[in-house]
Amino acid sequence: MIIEIKEHDGGMTAILNGRLDTPAAVKAQQEIGPLLENADKEIIFDCSNLEYISSSGLRLFLTIRKEASVKGGKVIIENINDEIRKVFMMTGFFNLFEIRNA
Amino acid sequence: MEMNGRTDSEFKEEKCLKRLLTLPNDISTIPQLSEFIEGIGEELCLEMSVLMSLNLALEEAVVNVMEYAYPPDVQGDVTIEAIANETQLKFIISDSGTPFDPTKKEAVDTTLSAEERPIGGLGIHLVREIMDSVTYEYKDCKNILSLSKNIK
Repeated sequence: MIIEIKEHDGGMTAILNGRLDTPAAVKAQQEIGPLLENADKEIIFDCSNLEYISSSGLRLFLTIRKEASVKGGKVIIENINDEIRKVFMMTGFFNLFEIRNA
Repeated sequence: MEMNGRTDSEFKEEKCLKRLLTLPNDISTIPQLSEFIEGIGEELCLEMSVLMSLNLALEEAVVNVMEYAYPPDVQGDVTIEAIANETQLKFIISDSGTPFDPTKKEAVDTTLSAEERPIGGLGIHLVREIMDSVTYEYKDCKNILSLSKNIK
């Protein structure tokens, strides 16, 4: 799992590559500081190359979403594959995020 | 798999699979679980999407054991036994840790808003969503969680 965080006009983009399983999410937890700090802005997760997600990865998204709702920011999740879409359906995560295909 | 009382010919007709994996209570070994599940999927010719779901359910159930069954700094094992016939794939996950029944956990309310949603509880919820049956028993000082999926 590689997480690449960069700035975009009006917020931050996190590009997720590979499998966000439990060990990967534990590592990623330590890298999301810049996203939490900018939770008053627009946070985009680019999931074009995200292959798999488990509940620990979902918790990461939810942590940032909660921070954004406190600070008045917005979380957008882009380009999830069909399998991850199914996981979002099963957990009701579809209602919590703005989900779009770029 | 119970083979008692069957004739040899009946036994041969049924395609069976039996696999065993033992992991320490260390989440960095989770990729070994994925490989194990992928191997089973290939052997049973499961669809990619079924395989992904099974991988997820098993990861959630096994991580739960790794994180909570044993006290911090105590080493322990989790054993995953996979048994399949033509119609059903069953996983039996066992550990010798503290007795804990994950099936007793309250259901997650997936209609809550982001502000109201608790951060935990999603793992067992996914296990329930994906598998066709989830049962727990405590026997011979072991937690035994059985997860079944109909595959045909």
